[in-house]
Amino acid sequence: MSETAIPAAVDDLRARVQPLREDPGSVLEALHAAQDVFGYVPPEAVELIAEELGYPEAHVYGVVTFYTMFYAEPQATHILRVCRDLSCHVKGVRGVVAAIEKKLGIHAGQSTADGRFKLELVSCLGQCDLQPAMLDNLAPHGHLTPERVEKLIDELGDEA
Amino acid sequence: MPEVLVVNRNLQKENSWLLDTYRRDGGYAQAERAVRESTPEEVIETVTAADLKGRGGAFFPTGMKWKFVRADSNTPRYVVANGDESEPGTYCNRFLLEKDPHGFIEGMIIAAFAIDAHTGYIYIRGEYGFAAERVREALHECYVAGILGEGIFGTDYKLDIILRRGAGAYICGEETALFNSLEGKRGNPRFKPPFPTNSGVWSKPTAINNIETFACVAPILEHGAEWFKGLAVGKGNAGTKVYCLSGNVQKTGLFELPLGTTARELIFDYGGGVADGRTLKAFKPGGASAAVLTPDLLDVRLDPSIIQHETIMGTGGCIVLDDTVSIVESAYRDALFFEEESCGFCIPCRQGTPNLVQILERILQGEGSMADLDLLESIGESMASSFCGLGQFAYRPVVGALHRFRDEFEGYIRGELPVSA
Ligand SMILES: Cc1cc2nc3c(=O)[nH]c(=O)nc-3n(C[C@H](O)[C@H](O)[C@H](O)COP(=O)(O)O)c2cc1C
Ligand code: SF4
Ligand code: FES
Repeated sequence: MSETAIPAAVDDLRARVQPLREDPGSVLEALHAAQDVFGYVPPEAVELIAEELGYPEAHVYGVVTFYTMFYAEPQATHILRVCRDLSCHVKGVRGVVAAIEKKLGIHAGQSTADGRFKLELVSCLGQCDLQPAMLDNLAPHGHLTPERVEKLIDELGDEA
Repeated sequence: MPEVLVVNRNLQKENSWLLDTYRRDGGYAQAERAVRESTPEEVIETVTAADLKGRGGAFFPTGMKWKFVRADSNTPRYVVANGDESEPGTYCNRFLLEKDPHGFIEGMIIAAFAIDAHTGYIYIRGEYGFAAERVREALHECYVAGILGEGIFGTDYKLDIILRRGAGAYICGEETALFNSLEGKRGNPRFKPPFPTNSGVWSKPTAINNIETFACVAPILEHGAEWFKGLAVGKGNAGTKVYCLSGNVQKTGLFELPLGTTARELIFDYGGGVADGRTLKAFKPGGASAAVLTPDLLDVRLDPSIIQHETIMGTGGCIVLDDTVSIVESAYRDALFFEEESCGFCIPCRQGTPNLVQILERILQGEGSMADLDLLESIGESMASSFCGLGQFAYRPVVGALHRFRDEFEGYIRGELPVSA
């Protein structure tokens, strides 16, 4: 998001957070809203959520850093969350990860220079029936093989 | 033998997630009857008599839990549905959330009435985006139909249910961590006691149950306690369990079977046996937290009694491992999971989980020593005093694997097995 787009987005976020004011526990919902709007949680969003829900900013930052799906830095368009756990492991997830790394020229935890893809190795996604499985952001993809994941990346890259 | 479909009875129906579909076959009739015609005591009595035990892994008697909540005069009380489902190998709640949200919501309404709660929360892990959408739509349908909100089912009983999403943290499935998360905080666990029945969300008496536990409630009220007890096999069991299969098995998927079904029946009769014509090396009966068992134990019942074999029933997410799988590597995967998911709040777990990872790495790379095996044991002993269940279980898959497959650990150390990881 460009610098100039931020003020409009802040208004958008404020409109979404204000209805949560009666419900002081809804910090995580407010942060999800911030990520919908910005793709991450910028300082402006932390400030706004703290103000609207009545917490110190440090509290809101503390929540952001606790949960792996909240990001304080801008993120790639497609976060590929590949499961590293046992069921996916025995069904060959390592080969899938190697294929993604080679295709995108990045290692786990990194993003492509064009900002389109990030690769994350994550805990079980609850999609073990689709082993080996991953999420593209929140969309599940399963029964992955090196070939399938390469094709998927091509398709996602075309739409990004 | 066919499956016994109680909890999963609606999953195959067309548009199974819609209120119309759910109501067509008698959905919400039990909640309506409870709220309009029963007393909370009667509901609790039936659930207690049915001997329903929590499907989240701890198998605590549900009726007793609700009774404790009701016995606490502190108000308001809350009902919470735990849909954090993050135990590796487990995905049964996801199907209920996505395909039959009304089934467990009806159970929540009955529970709320039983404990006289007027607010409920549904907590769904952040990765389950589609499930959260479906539940949000289902709640909306309930408000429009007068099943939730002011004066439900035409009575003066008021009930709101609020959907909340997590954001990537296994520990938030632990009930007290979940309460902190619902309150908008970091998801660290709280000290127990006080227990949630007296001090849960907002420090008020709270009935927290797993999605599957709630999904058992309306069928119990409909068919009766004796019917429910009769569904299970094995001593002390009642009802069905939705087992999940994954790993090196022919058929992955959900199998709703009598609670107490044996591992052999689940893996071979329902799962079609080991995939790719391989043979069975080991299986984990209930997610990452459960230690592996060997094929000579295939006839054990998948129920809480499995604890006598140094493992746990857990979530019923059974992971099948064939003869090509390195047990040391599988223990390493479990260790990585717990290292990543440790919340860092207490020292035994914060230090123990990465120590286990480092030692297993060393062993897998052919650089381990026999002393490392003793070290794994002693780290396990220190982790037993961890603050919460995560740390108290995290070492057991590693130590359990060592006890059952010591030869394989020693094989890596002696350089007889290929370096990996
Ligand atoms: C580390 C940890 C993670 C847990 N995760 C879950 C979970 O994802 N879902 C769940 O229902 N229970 C989970 N539990 C158990 C809950 O603390 C709690 O016992 C359960 O939600 C109670 O519901 P039940 O009585 O219906 O099983 C977890 C416990 C621990 C220690
Ligand atoms: S045992 Fe682990 S997860 Fe539990 S409080 Fe301690 S550090 Fe956190
Ligand atoms: S183990 Fe990979 S999704 Fe569950």
